[in-house]
Amino acid sequence: MADVVQVVGTDDPVRPLFSEAGELRADARSGLGLDAAALRDLYQKMVLIRRADKEALNLQRQGELGLWGQYLGQEAIHVGAVAALEPTDWIFPSYREFGMAMCRGVDPAEMLTWFRGLSHGPWDPRKYAFAPLAVPVATQVPHAVGFAMGSKLRGDDDVVLGTFGDGATSKGDWHEAMNFAGVFRAPVILLCQNNHWAISVPLAKQTAGSIAERAPGYGFPGIRIDGNDVLGVFAAVRAAAERARRGDGPYLIEAMTYRMGAHTSSDDPTRYRLDSELQAWSAKDPIARYQSWLQGQGLLDEAAAAAIDGEAETMAEQMRTRLRAAVPAPAGEAIFGRVYERPPDPFTEEREEFEASLEGT
Amino acid sequence: MAEQTFRLPDLGEGLTEAQLVTWRVEEGGQVEVNEPLCDVETAKAVVVIPSPWAGTIQKLHARPGESVAVGSALVTIAAQGAPAPVEPLPAESVEATPSTLVGYGPGAGPPAGIRRRARVAPSTPQMGSDVRAAPFVRQLAKERGVDLAALTGSGPGGRITRADVEGAASPVAATSAAAAASTTDGERRISVVGIRKAIARQMVRSVTTIPQFTEFAVFDATKLLAARERQKQSGRSMTPLPYFILALVKAVRAFPLMNSSWDEAHDEIVVKQPINVGIAVNTSQGLLVPVLRGAERLDLMAIADQAARLIEGARAGTLKPVEMSGGTITITNVGASGPVETGTPIISPTECCVGAFGAIKPRPMVIDGKVVARSGAWISISVDHRIVDGALATEFLTALVGELETSRA
Ligand SMILES: Cc1ncc(C[n+]2csc(CCOP(=O)(O)OP(=O)(O)O)c2C)c(N)n1
Ligand SMILES: [Mg+2]
Repeated sequence: MADVVQVVGTDDPVRPLFSEAGELRADARSGLGLDAAALRDLYQKMVLIRRADKEALNLQRQGELGLWGQYLGQEAIHVGAVAALEPTDWIFPSYREFGMAMCRGVDPAEMLTWFRGLSHGPWDPRKYAFAPLAVPVATQVPHAVGFAMGSKLRGDDDVVLGTFGDGATSKGDWHEAMNFAGVFRAPVILLCQNNHWAISVPLAKQTAGSIAERAPGYGFPGIRIDGNDVLGVFAAVRAAAERARRGDGPYLIEAMTYRMGAHTSSDDPTRYRLDSELQAWSAKDPIARYQSWLQGQGLLDEAAAAAIDGEAETMAEQMRTRLRAAVPAPAGEAIFGRVYERPPDPFTEEREEFEASLEGT
Repeated sequence: MAEQTFRLPDLGEGLTEAQLVTWRVEEGGQVEVNEPLCDVETAKAVVVIPSPWAGTIQKLHARPGESVAVGSALVTIAAQGAPAPVEPLPAESVEATPSTLVGYGPGAGPPAGIRRRARVAPSTPQMGSDVRAAPFVRQLAKERGVDLAALTGSGPGGRITRADVEGAASPVAATSAAAAASTTDGERRISVVGIRKAIARQMVRSVTTIPQFTEFAVFDATKLLAARERQKQSGRSMTPLPYFILALVKAVRAFPLMNSSWDEAHDEIVVKQPINVGIAVNTSQGLLVPVLRGAERLDLMAIADQAARLIEGARAGTLKPVEMSGGTITITNVGASGPVETGTPIISPTECCVGAFGAIKPRPMVIDGKVVARSGAWISISVDHRIVDGALATEFLTALVGELETSRA
């Protein structure tokens, strides 16, 4: 029977880089081949995306955005993963990945038009190799796997990153995507941002086991790593991407982190989780940790850090003023115009009711 | 200096109001962009609103405790300086110009025209649910006291429009509706928000869903008071409450059904493992019930410490919502602040039992056939009759009395 089980791409270039506990080994850390500028760049990007996150929350509280989902605390994953990929490698994000989009060069003020309800997709996915944000949980995972299968069929050497939360792993789509990835040896990195919560559902109620350890069941390797270490995330994604590019197939990375903010601006986490948990994770803040590491290496002095903070402030102000200027509200056409070629009657009725409701407003 | 009024936004996807909790600025004061203005509580969360502008606070439009409708004025700020010149967002990013919409690929283009269903001539709408009107029109009709069924809609398919409702609303109806909202002869209307509203909802849910009955008993508090006295001698004075809680927990251990709830949807009784004791606390905001978690693992001292912390927190308003939820049984000390002997407490909707403790005071008791003065108090328990019958409630109450009468330091 044993020969029936064919495990694809069993070689695992990621695991040797990490300790049992998922920490990047010291020799692996020094062997990343990143120069001082590249190391500082990771820091700068984390600071910028955190500031953008904060500004977006402010704008939501000021009525400028309908909704905002903070990624506070998950910056190391956003920055480390994108930095480890080629700019042409596609990323399939969920709703919480504005930081990743920024790392790909998408203008934060433009991105916000989505959360302001002005736009269905504020960037050209092809230009940034960055797919639209997927709100229905886990739907982006089969998209990522399918896209990677397409890339393989075309014979190009692009790899794809599909990223999702701990909650997403409970969905059927996730299982189907994992299975396809394994069977078709798709060049895809499946990056779970395990932030311990799916709205108010804690990790312990999400799964009785480990997410990373499910990968071998689908025929490829997986690893659980410290997701609050930007270099660890970088190292893992880069090694998994190289492996996929070689044709060795998918890899599952479970990056352990914590959602420091609310699920979205509509949520109040004090109703379901204790302050002590938040405090414990604050001590592992990805930016503070990396900052002190850089300082220890003599790579970041106070002036450089202050300059980056200043840049973040300017960016935030730009976001605010430019978003406010982007007021042209979409007409009914934008909602109804692109759904059906030949709209069915109930749909047309709904459209008429909507247009009538705008009369005199 | 331009005066700008900031109106309360919809902070949580479809909310209509929020309650102002506290101002963090005052009239005449300065504020920076993004500096906290106030805390408001919506149905979903308590949130801090950061200032959208820098400038001088001209006017605060609401008082703490007041309920503010979304869209109403919150604060007026005399803003400093002219807004900085803005580099506009590229047209592609907004769909107001669909011909340059990104992401849909070339050739998709805007549709040449939407095929419209032929409009049916306006017809008289039918009664009741057959009335065709958009939700906001129905709302408007309700506010203006207009009977939609009596109207002929002028919209497509006989749909009733805003104009139809406005045309039908008589000025008389409008005034009387407005009057009802304020003061009429000798009556004052208090809008019910926040904790009051939450209590009201819980109580209605309890009495309309739980068939509950109450049993009473008197216990001899001599040993409890002696134990308390010994504690005091050793430098630790405490109220009777920790003794009540400890006795309750011990009795519940012997009768686990008391620590349960009725699951209507599944016809099941859910027996809970930890004993989380809700403690009814009277605060300036109203009744709050902080929850002492895992009481079965705590000794008297730990119970006393936790209870004191929770009660203090409830009064100061510093408890997190999670510290006021998850109770499995509740206790109320009705005799703590007055001559109240006992009462008929109402069960918290997700529990099976609530116990009320009356004032401990000397009262005549018959000991060995003689009437003597002994310290004692009433206790009552209300229980869910779906889960517990009178016989079991009596056994539980007997056990509880037994625990109280054998209290030790
Ligand atoms: C198919 C589907 N079901 C439910 C929801 C509602 N929902 C939005 S986010 C979320 C939790 C997702 O948690 P997780 O995957 O851990 O991602 P996180 O929000 O923590 O980043 C849920 C249930 C949804 N958007 N889509
Ligand atoms: Mg999550």
